[in-house]
Amino acid sequence: MRISTNTIYQSGITRINNIQSDQAKLQEQISTGRRISSPSDDPIAAARAIEIASAQSSNAKFADTRQTAQLKLNTLESNLNSITSLLISTQSSLVAAGNGTLSDTERSFLGSELKSSMEALLGLANTKDASGNYLYAGYKTNTVPFVATATGADYMGDSNQQLLQVDSQRQMAINSPGDNVFQANGNDIFASLSTMITLLNTPITDATTQANYNAGLATTIDKMKDSVDNVLNVRTDVGQKLREIDELDTAGSDRELQYSKTLSKIQDTDYASALSDFAKQQTIMEAAQKSFVQMTSLSLFSFIR
Amino acid sequence: MADILSIGKSALSAAQLGLSTTGHNIANAATPGYSRQVVVQAAAKAQASGNGFIGQGTEIAGISRTFNEILAKQVVSSQASSASSATYASRLGTINNMLSDSAAGLNPAMSDFFNSMSDLAANPSDTPTRQSMLSYSQSLVNRFQSTNSRLNEIRNDVNTELTANVNLVNTYAKQIASLNNAIENAVSSDGNPPNDLMDQRDQLVTELSKQIKTTVVPQGAGSYNIYVGNGLPMVIGKTLMSLTTESSPTDPSQLEVSYQTSGKSTVLGASSLPGGAIGGLLQFRSESLDSVQNKVGQIALVLADTINTQHKLGVDLNGNPGGNLFNIPSPSITSNTNNNIITNAVISSQVVDSRAITSSDYRLQYDTSNAPNSYKITRLNDSTVQTFNSLPQTVDGLSFNLTSGSFTNGDDFVIRPTRNVATNISLAITDGKKLAVGSATLSAVPNTTNVGVATISTPPSGSTLTGTLGLTYATGIPATLTMSPSTQPVTVTVAGIPTVYPPGSPITYTSGATIAVGGLSFVISGTPADGDKFTISSGGPGDNRNGLELANLQNQSILNNNSTSYSSAYSELVSGVGNKTREMNIISTAEAKVLEQATTAMQSESGVNLDEEATNLLRYQQAYQAAGKMMQIASQLFDTLLQLGR
Repeated sequence: MRISTNTIYQSGITRINNIQSDQAKLQEQISTGRRISSPSDDPIAAARAIEIASAQSSNAKFADTRQTAQLKLNTLESNLNSITSLLISTQSSLVAAGNGTLSDTERSFLGSELKSSMEALLGLANTKDASGNYLYAGYKTNTVPFVATATGADYMGDSNQQLLQVDSQRQMAINSPGDNVFQANGNDIFASLSTMITLLNTPITDATTQANYNAGLATTIDKMKDSVDNVLNVRTDVGQKLREIDELDTAGSDRELQYSKTLSKIQDTDYASALSDFAKQQTIMEAAQKSFVQMTSLSLFSFIR
Repeated sequence: MADILSIGKSALSAAQLGLSTTGHNIANAATPGYSRQVVVQAAAKAQASGNGFIGQGTEIAGISRTFNEILAKQVVSSQASSASSATYASRLGTINNMLSDSAAGLNPAMSDFFNSMSDLAANPSDTPTRQSMLSYSQSLVNRFQSTNSRLNEIRNDVNTELTANVNLVNTYAKQIASLNNAIENAVSSDGNPPNDLMDQRDQLVTELSKQIKTTVVPQGAGSYNIYVGNGLPMVIGKTLMSLTTESSPTDPSQLEVSYQTSGKSTVLGASSLPGGAIGGLLQFRSESLDSVQNKVGQIALVLADTINTQHKLGVDLNGNPGGNLFNIPSPSITSNTNNNIITNAVISSQVVDSRAITSSDYRLQYDTSNAPNSYKITRLNDSTVQTFNSLPQTVDGLSFNLTSGSFTNGDDFVIRPTRNVATNISLAITDGKKLAVGSATLSAVPNTTNVGVATISTPPSGSTLTGTLGLTYATGIPATLTMSPSTQPVTVTVAGIPTVYPPGSPITYTSGATIAVGGLSFVISGTPADGDKFTISSGGPGDNRNGLELANLQNQSILNNNSTSYSSAYSELVSGVGNKTREMNIISTAEAKVLEQATTAMQSESGVNLDEEATNLLRYQQAYQAAGKMMQIASQLFDTLLQLGR
């Protein structure tokens, strides 16, 4: 076939251009470490990368939320711990109050002791968390949950539990409403203590008052036992949630690892193949350049003298 | 002797012509569109003699260019296809690259938005968290706006390029018409073809086909009739038509190409202008740009609308019902500029159900040929037509209504529900306290330490309650519920029969009875144990129920009739653009290859080969030398005769 001189040059340039553009593409993949630089490089992988990045971001957010939940549950747990100790020491005061040799004065001392315990308990029940929200107020986190009255304390919060989205399919309650902790099963700790304080301050004058005292004390000891059990139940529940958070964290990090791996497989340059392709392109380029120069240096005019 | 001399002279001048033609070829070896020229040489008419026919040397029949019309036609047509797909691919490549930046895309902004919503759900009463949620909302709005403004820039670029390309078409057409004239004059004056002028004209045809699909029909004595697009006459002999650009009758923001003939201009659609850069631009705009922009708008619209809907179900930190979080622009409506201005129909359109909204534009036409179903609504992306006998109507979650005036046959409106949403969307709230994270629904819960098995129903929406209402169950005959506080009469309805209890008195418990007090009602069913409690309350600052619902929208299937999540819709858009770009790159490479082959084929016939010209140079040089020698010999022969007489 007859070939025009223009065609020789044009096709030489076109071929070298093509190789150069392939090389540039490979060079970009090698230098950025990314196999996909725009969606058209691999549309399906690009779309998957977006979905995975979304899932990854949600997963990281759940981990954040778990941290918040953990913080709140830890605060709750340590507060419940103080409440438990206080209640147990109250129980020993009650046991002491059962000593039949106590005088009225000694019992009124015990009464004062119980009163200060009750005030301490009220303080614990009205604790705020790090963000200034009341721990035991349900949703009414800006309302003082327990207000002292003559016969104990009134609960001003509500019975709601705040749920946090700690995993894609798990919402976890991270607070315990005050009625649930201090007034469960009709056992109002404050009412019991208040009744007991009144009894301790009432002088025993005859068999009737003695019987009243004994009966009241027995009831209070029973009720306190129930209340301590209830607080321990709440603590157990909190402990279980903290353990669950740890498990969810482990699962979450596993998922994160999976996402990162998949994302890397989809997006990242396979250096072995990219570098070997690059070397191959280089060889082709050298051959193309050399053959082009040799071909164009052949001209009949150089022989005309 | 005279014969030998004149034979020599004819050979000499033929060789000279050969040399200068070869020189001309060498000189124009790199001239675009140049076809190599050859001297057409023939033996001169021989002289009859007794001895036979005696040759009289050589004669030049003419100088012709080596030009193959069929090959040239192939170049012109593959040039148009190649330019079209290359233009399409390069413009789409801009969008492709824009979407490639994973950090700047819409997806991270949407993720951040929902992440900050989750933060807010975890810390509902925290003021800094509320402000941060607002600033992420603003960033999302900004990202939508910047994405769309980039797409609008691309649309403006298409307008600018169309204008430039149409000007080029007119210029080339004008030059071709004047060359037609010059060539016709040259041919008619001496009958010889003006090779170089013809090359120039063919080169102009090739240039023209880069802009627009071009068809050449030769006519008469060397004239070209030029047709563009789907057969629009552009040059007929010396007569010239022209193209121009004008605003689209259905979209003032974009230019359309129109054809000018006898003072009238007709707007040409993308379908009647295939090929060339113009065809590529029009196809890119109607096929890809519109759809990408609408899909971005669809995501913005649906996200904003579904968030607004959920947000309005909540209550804010001040206890007030939530408002809109985003301001969403109404669908854009364009009346065709040719609509009847006397009856002056004005229509309106609203998004009724954003989950059903598609990314398509819609056309509403009033067409009495279909009476009584004269209202024709076309979904433009798949040309689905629905006809109705009245307005208002709702199609794909979009309402169509006549606001004022009346319709005249032929009235035509284009409704774009999604096109400009991403540009005009804005944030409706600036005060973090107004984020409605709490739920307007009252909460009704049994105390978690209840012993019995009983449930309490959630009061229906719209119920009102100030503070908290507690109920305590007591066994006995009958079993009772005591309310605290109890300041209002209570109505208990059992099997349709109401009983009213005065304030302060315990009410008789019946499982499943409807209990109404003040502004709310509820049902307790089951078997409670003595002392079991139930609490009904409105939310407080710690109420995060609506926040959780808002954050959960992220992973729900919402778009396109609850089939796609926001981020899947975006990833579908990205993979759609990626696929189309890939496809256009492949097509454009293939068509460039076809063009290269056609050009090579044409060049192999018409192009100059310098080695060949070197050979010709030597050949004509030797022919010239030989002719000279022959004339020298003729002269010596004559001398021989003259010597005889001495």
